[in-house]
Amino acid sequence: MISNLGKFFIDVFFHIKGVINLFFANIYWIFIGPFKGKPPKIEHIFYQMVFVGLRSILIVFFITVFTGIVLAMQTAYQLEKMGAVIYVAALVAVSLCRELSPVLTSLVVAGRVGSSIAAEIGTMKVSEQIEALETMAINPVRFLVIPRFLALFFMLPCLTILGNLAGIFGGFLVGVGSLNINPDLYLQTTFKYLKLKDIFTGLTKSFVFALIIALIGCYEGLNTRGGAEGVGRATTRAVVISFILIIFADCIITAIFYFSKM
Amino acid sequence: MAQKNCNDKIAISLRNVSKYFGDKKTIDNISFDVHCGETFVIMGCSGSGKSTLLRIMTGIIKPEEGEVIINGKDIVRCSHQELDEIRKNFGMLFQYSALLDSLTVEENVALPLKEHTKLAPDIIKIIVKMKLSLVGLRGYENYYPSQISGGMRKRVGLARAIALDPDIVFYDEPTSGLDPVVGGVIDKLIKDLSEKLLITSVVVTHDMMSVFEISDRIAMVHKGQLIAIGTPEQIKNSTNPYVQQFINGRPDGPIDFFKEDIGLKEILGL
Repeated sequence: MISNLGKFFIDVFFHIKGVINLFFANIYWIFIGPFKGKPPKIEHIFYQMVFVGLRSILIVFFITVFTGIVLAMQTAYQLEKMGAVIYVAALVAVSLCRELSPVLTSLVVAGRVGSSIAAEIGTMKVSEQIEALETMAINPVRFLVIPRFLALFFMLPCLTILGNLAGIFGGFLVGVGSLNINPDLYLQTTFKYLKLKDIFTGLTKSFVFALIIALIGCYEGLNTRGGAEGVGRATTRAVVISFILIIFADCIITAIFYFSKM
Repeated sequence: MAQKNCNDKIAISLRNVSKYFGDKKTIDNISFDVHCGETFVIMGCSGSGKSTLLRIMTGIIKPEEGEVIINGKDIVRCSHQELDEIRKNFGMLFQYSALLDSLTVEENVALPLKEHTKLAPDIIKIIVKMKLSLVGLRGYENYYPSQISGGMRKRVGLARAIALDPDIVFYDEPTSGLDPVVGGVIDKLIKDLSEKLLITSVVVTHDMMSVFEISDRIAMVHKGQLIAIGTPEQIKNSTNPYVQQFINGRPDGPIDFFKEDIGLKEILGL
């Protein structure tokens, strides 16, 4: 029992070490690699950006619009009792920008992109393609991980901003359509209570989440073992671990912002 | 087999190489030299450690003991950059081709050229066309690896392996899983490459037809140990019972597949 527990912790530390190593390899290839004549391929980055960003717009849009709608209705249900329905606008905007839009967007992207990164790199690993890259003296981190890492790092905050707007739009639909708030008044209240720092805290989160999704997806992919079953396992693990880490990181970052009064 | 004028320079030299996986010694104190320009075949049963040996020579697997010297450098202990420099001098054909699925045939062959040379794109295109016509696959540039047959994929893999005009090419079971005709074509390509371009070839295989067809020298590995090395004639006339059983493919002999099933009788109650 105790030996199993010990084994588990050793395993966990081993994986943490692996992820940290991958992170520093990323830093090396982004900041030092280009000066050694090996810059990342721009076209690969753009290709991944299209996949990560552009192709995720629809799902992010729908998820946040509906979240905005639901949030507006739920808060209206409470605020109606106090006759403060107008504050629906403020509540929806602030809670979306600070919390819901970054978290929901990155969970969706972790499910959509993180899993596909793990599956793609994992399949390459089990079919010797990674080994082939290495024997061709092409570093797999530079060739495969960096484009995905950078694409996520730039596109996830963009998607979060889109999520913010879509969510506020959802709340607006409920506020104007069903709660009979004047559209002008709704928007005025939204921007009166929504501070720039709310958006910045949300975006800070999404940068961290992008890091988590890219690192976990790539790490699981690169460490895939054992054929088709291994690829399936790697994909599942990538999604599960990034979900847990995203929520955990969200908790920590929110606490930091809360206690530092940001 | 005609002896080549390769002034006996040594291309690859293994010195007392041992590799453990866990407690199991997969490679047990193996030493041999591969001369420049020769076709060196490593044969052995499945699981004998011959593929591991090939991966040690390409620097994918690091052995715990011994040294592997290629172009005068020990690739076990050199830095990553040095290893990459050495790797630019060799190509490898993988058992399952290992072409990148997301790239077309042309892009696959062009990949090492794009990464390691500063050639203009149209020149790379010409080189790719040349390499593809060398393996008889001109006109397939825009196909994806999933759209062509296994034999064609192997030939594309060969074109990619020789894209940078390497000094050494490693072949991991080049004919396995192919029909005899395509296998013969691959054998002929290997022979042509080593004779016309003076490439040093290291081939891992257990296809006996191709072993004697292409080899200048043969080494046989069994359970991680080097049990025989020599020219095809020497191997054919070897008195070693392991070698004789292997090259004749006899089911009974010193190589016993059921030896590790100790306890089977007890389980069956015999």
